[in-house]
Amino acid sequence: MGKSSKDKRDIYYRRAKEEGWRARSAFKLLQLNEEFQIFKGVKRVVDLCAAPGSWSQVLSRELFQNQKQEDAKIVAVDLQPMTPIDGVTCIQADITHPKTLHKILDTFGGEPADFVCSDGAPDVTGLHDLDEYIQAQLILSALQLTTCILKPGGTFVAKIFRGRDIDLLYSQLSYLFERVVCAKPRSSRGTSLEAFIVCLGYKPSKNWEPKLELNKSTEEFFEGAGIGKSDNLEHLDFPVDEGRTIGTFLATGDLNDVDSDATYRPGKERELVPVQMPTAPPYKKALEMKRRGDLVRR
Amino acid sequence: MSIPPQNTISSVEEQLLKPLSHYGPVTSLKVFQNYVLAGYGPILKVFEVVNNETQLISSQQLFKRNKIHHICISQSGDKVCISGSRSFRVLSLVDTLNNTPSLEEKAINEWITCCEFLDDNTLLILNSHNTVYTVDVSSKASQFILSDKVHCNEKSILYSGSIRLLDDGRVLIAAGTVMNGVIIWDYLTKRIIYNFTEHEGSIFGVQIDSTGKFMISCSDDRSVKLYDLQNGKILANGWGHGSRIWNLRFFKDQSNGLRIMSTGEDCTIRLWRYEPGHDLIQVELLENAHLGKHIWSGDIDDEHLKLFVSGGADGKVRVHDLIGRNNVQEFSLETISAKIGKEFHTKENIKQYSELPHLNLLIIITSHGSIIQYNQLSNEFTLLELTPEESAKFYDFSIMKSLCEINVILIACRNGDILQLRFEGNATQPQRSWIEESQLGNSKLTNLLVASSNSSHYSLTDCPNTKVPFILRKYSDSGVETSFLQQPQQTSFTTTDMTIDSTNSWLILGSRYVSLAIYDISNESDQVTIFKKLSQGDTITSVSIVRSQKNLLTVLLTVRDGVYLYVNISKIDGEFQYEIIHENKLSRGFIEGGFVQNNQLILYGFKSSYFYLWNESKQIEIYNEICGGAHRQWEFFRQDFNSKFIYINKSTLCIKTFNARFVKDFGVINPGTHGREIRSVCISPEAKNGSRLILTASEDTTVKLGKLHSNGSVESYWSLNHHVSGMQTIKFFNQTYAASSAANEEFFIWKFSELDAIPIVIEYSRLKPSADIPDLRIMDFDAFEYENGFIITTVYSDSTIKVWYFDISEKRFFLIIEDRYTTCCILNVNFLFLNNRVLLQIGATDGHLSIWDITNKVATGGEVKSLDEMIIKQQLHQNGIKAILPVKQAGSYEIITGGDDNALILSTLAFDQEKLKLEVKSFIEKAASSTITSISSSGDAKFLVTSVDQIVRCWSYKNYELSCESARYTTIADTGCSDSVIDDGQVILAIGGAGLSTWKLA
Repeated sequence: MGKSSKDKRDIYYRRAKEEGWRARSAFKLLQLNEEFQIFKGVKRVVDLCAAPGSWSQVLSRELFQNQKQEDAKIVAVDLQPMTPIDGVTCIQADITHPKTLHKILDTFGGEPADFVCSDGAPDVTGLHDLDEYIQAQLILSALQLTTCILKPGGTFVAKIFRGRDIDLLYSQLSYLFERVVCAKPRSSRGTSLEAFIVCLGYKPSKNWEPKLELNKSTEEFFEGAGIGKSDNLEHLDFPVDEGRTIGTFLATGDLNDVDSDATYRPGKERELVPVQMPTAPPYKKALEMKRRGDLVRR
Repeated sequence: MSIPPQNTISSVEEQLLKPLSHYGPVTSLKVFQNYVLAGYGPILKVFEVVNNETQLISSQQLFKRNKIHHICISQSGDKVCISGSRSFRVLSLVDTLNNTPSLEEKAINEWITCCEFLDDNTLLILNSHNTVYTVDVSSKASQFILSDKVHCNEKSILYSGSIRLLDDGRVLIAAGTVMNGVIIWDYLTKRIIYNFTEHEGSIFGVQIDSTGKFMISCSDDRSVKLYDLQNGKILANGWGHGSRIWNLRFFKDQSNGLRIMSTGEDCTIRLWRYEPGHDLIQVELLENAHLGKHIWSGDIDDEHLKLFVSGGADGKVRVHDLIGRNNVQEFSLETISAKIGKEFHTKENIKQYSELPHLNLLIIITSHGSIIQYNQLSNEFTLLELTPEESAKFYDFSIMKSLCEINVILIACRNGDILQLRFEGNATQPQRSWIEESQLGNSKLTNLLVASSNSSHYSLTDCPNTKVPFILRKYSDSGVETSFLQQPQQTSFTTTDMTIDSTNSWLILGSRYVSLAIYDISNESDQVTIFKKLSQGDTITSVSIVRSQKNLLTVLLTVRDGVYLYVNISKIDGEFQYEIIHENKLSRGFIEGGFVQNNQLILYGFKSSYFYLWNESKQIEIYNEICGGAHRQWEFFRQDFNSKFIYINKSTLCIKTFNARFVKDFGVINPGTHGREIRSVCISPEAKNGSRLILTASEDTTVKLGKLHSNGSVESYWSLNHHVSGMQTIKFFNQTYAASSAANEEFFIWKFSELDAIPIVIEYSRLKPSADIPDLRIMDFDAFEYENGFIITTVYSDSTIKVWYFDISEKRFFLIIEDRYTTCCILNVNFLFLNNRVLLQIGATDGHLSIWDITNKVATGGEVKSLDEMIIKQQLHQNGIKAILPVKQAGSYEIITGGDDNALILSTLAFDQEKLKLEVKSFIEKAASSTITSISSSGDAKFLVTSVDQIVRCWSYKNYELSCESARYTTIADTGCSDSVIDDGQVILAIGGAGLSTWKLA
């Protein structure tokens, strides 16, 4: 995020820098926990799409420092490299790859996870339907891994964008969990479509064994899982009655806590250097060429 | 296993909500035969191109929810397949053209990347997991059969893909993956041929050429890459795009050379040429081809129609001529010297030139007084006969002007003498005559201006000595009449342009510091009238007549800094008066001139190193020319829709000729809207001739003024560039005034009027920010008429509430109340009127609705007061109250609120004795599956609600019980705002978001 963006003024952004969180999203997880006590009784955690690592930081602080669980295990997975965090096993890998699952299980000594979370979001293109599809794929990819590793009764939390097909996702998740809530922490800006799907009490689908395989699409993975996904391939008829559910919404975090939409007037402005610099973007070369004047403008 | 509760309010009595018009992202384009097919969200539009004219022949919504991202046509030309998201639909071309679509919407259970017909009965669908479905589509009863699923064992997620059928029977799949790679595989053998990994980031476009020899791809890394599919080698990179590239096409030039067209996020269209051994050479760049961000789609036809099309997030579809582009002739002095057989002096250069379009002549004068005629038809240069003494008079100084209609060229020299050259059709040499100047004395001529008006032709000689009058000459076949005009008695009155209005015989001169001088030339004793500093800005670069009536003249003034004005001039009791009736600024550089053509305002000028011609009404660049910038000799000539930009670059005469092929609306075949998300929309309270004004405020910080016609179509007139930060709200106060608010504490009041049925607008006043570096957002405002103006309240992102009196005639704001709510961001504000009290009501991000009584504080000025204790503070929603609609009833209000929490609440507000009570009457916890963003009235215990789940719902509340009467999907994503009007009992709703749509409630 550039220094000129409006985040500079955001109180949570300032606080994150001051408290040493790598990103302001740390507060979102903390505020979700305030509502749902998702860290309670948790020993083995998987943090998916973890970079730059603020959720892993929160988990590390909570499990090791606050709860003093020396045998807790936290695995952070991302395609991007991550700066190490105390007590967190960082794996640079693809969450859809079976090998990644095996690596996590190895770290857990073959035991299932108590909690899986994902704060991942793809780069948006601006084509809303495509962006929503890719985000849904990301959630389903996280869910794939989750169904392979989460203990029954465990918790799954993932970032969502409340777009046009969010009711489809609520419906599908409702088959796999006792309780599904759409939560909006006070630290998540009201102007953003961002929210978090909090899925409590994992209940594995009967008569379906999740199996992560190379070259299986998410659609193929969930075939037979009985989560209300339409199977319309016979005459390729447009599905008219897909399961859609309006999820329960919960605003989390104290209303008196600072408001991410408000403008605060800090005592004095001081430059806060981001703790974690952004990773190399794909257009790095184009930017370098532009700086050198090599970019053909005309 | 229990089935989760169903969303029963995603589709309810859909027929009650009827979409009328839609403007939004153009997601796909295809040129075929004489047709341009456009995927306009879920709507397929077909345009026919005949003799350089385009016409919309069909427009049909063919998908229920999904957008058309891809269009393909079978090789026989009989069948069309549109696809997007999970949907596809096979149509016969004939039915498509006739607006009678056959067969129904079909779907697969994955995202469709693209489709292609193997033959008329077999469709190949490439899904986003790199699998091709082979579908038998021969059934007339829509009983399609999935006959095969083919993959290459590499099921990466795809962002893009294409299928190419080759003459040798091979079918190649090009798959653009989410991470770095392009996979080329063979559909028949299922084998991967190549896996190219030179790109970084997601691949957004990939195409194989018709021979199967080449492949192009583009990605996040902003490069276009060309590959040789015969050996798997990368041939060339194309660098130039400033952001992501979305779309690519191959084409061929006239000499069969390989060319590429690319479009992208930076709103440019680039045409590239491949030459072996080199990186791609950018041969043409169309900048600002669309508004805002993103040209999503494009296609090209190099054989038949010879055009290319582009479609943007702004909803516009544009056709561009492929032939005759980049038509620039260059003549160096050496070339000209050789052609006329005259040796130029070593320091001689081209000084001035002018065009006589009726004769296709360009007349050129050099620094040493050589005059050359260039016949642009015969391509011949001729040296005009001048005596050495005559030439010497022009040494180092000359001003050349043309009176095009009578084919006369005037060339003035320093002492004021003017050489008049009259050209005849066939004569090689013009008639020469000198007009000797006797008025100047020792003073020097500094400017010669010309103007033509109703077959009268004038020149005006300007010299810096204010004692010397302006010398006005009128040219006719019988000779030259001279008259004198008193100079304004000020040293700084430098003339820059002149226009003459024949209706009133008024002469208007433009000058620096946005000043005007006006003369009544029918009355010689009349004194000059000066209007100084009409607006901010520097030099008036052009003055032209927009409308001329008896004693009412409307002129267009362009100001170099980027401002343009429409100014009314009239004479009341012998005194000239002016009124600025329209004012706007261009955010694209310097304006050197402008004119109105077919009711469209065209402006030209320079931005950095290029000259541009810009259609301000249609918001499109007609063309630009890289000339090195404004600091050079240049002239702009136009005739009808064609124009020439002639400039000197490195001592070379360059003639850029633009001949408009698509004259109607300059090739905009489908109108659009903003290029970014619309954040607020409002409709004027009154209708005129069946139309109302509509204002939209967008994320790109522009405000658009248009007309909402009774059939639901929206005609855009102006894009106002006054705001510079994120827009929050726009609202009408009444038919004449509206206001808009934004970040940076921007709050502007707008005033509207009309010019020949075209709505026009000025920024009437703006609120001064409270801080030097304003960082507050003015989230919302409300107003009511009071005394000689309005009482206005503004609410801020830091919880501040202010109430102002705005005096219309003084154009001044008087702060009357200032206070704070808490520390949270206030989202909306309304004035309510109950029991002769004035109440101020706000909704905030903390989900509370709060009300104060401000009756005794309403005033036109005085001391700034605080608010009293609030009389209502009640939590209604879990978090932000995103939308609110107060409905006035006798002695009470019904207040409907919608939240970020998906809930909808109906409350009543009334005085019980002396105590104000807010009572929740009906609460729907799950009124939408996402944030509720707006509530608009639809009269009679009914209202319309939009939410980000893209469902528009009509709710009723008879007996205070909320019930969903109708719910229908809207194609506007990021659905963020709405407004409604009721005309003759007919409810019209406008919805803004990623596009704009209008609806009718049955």
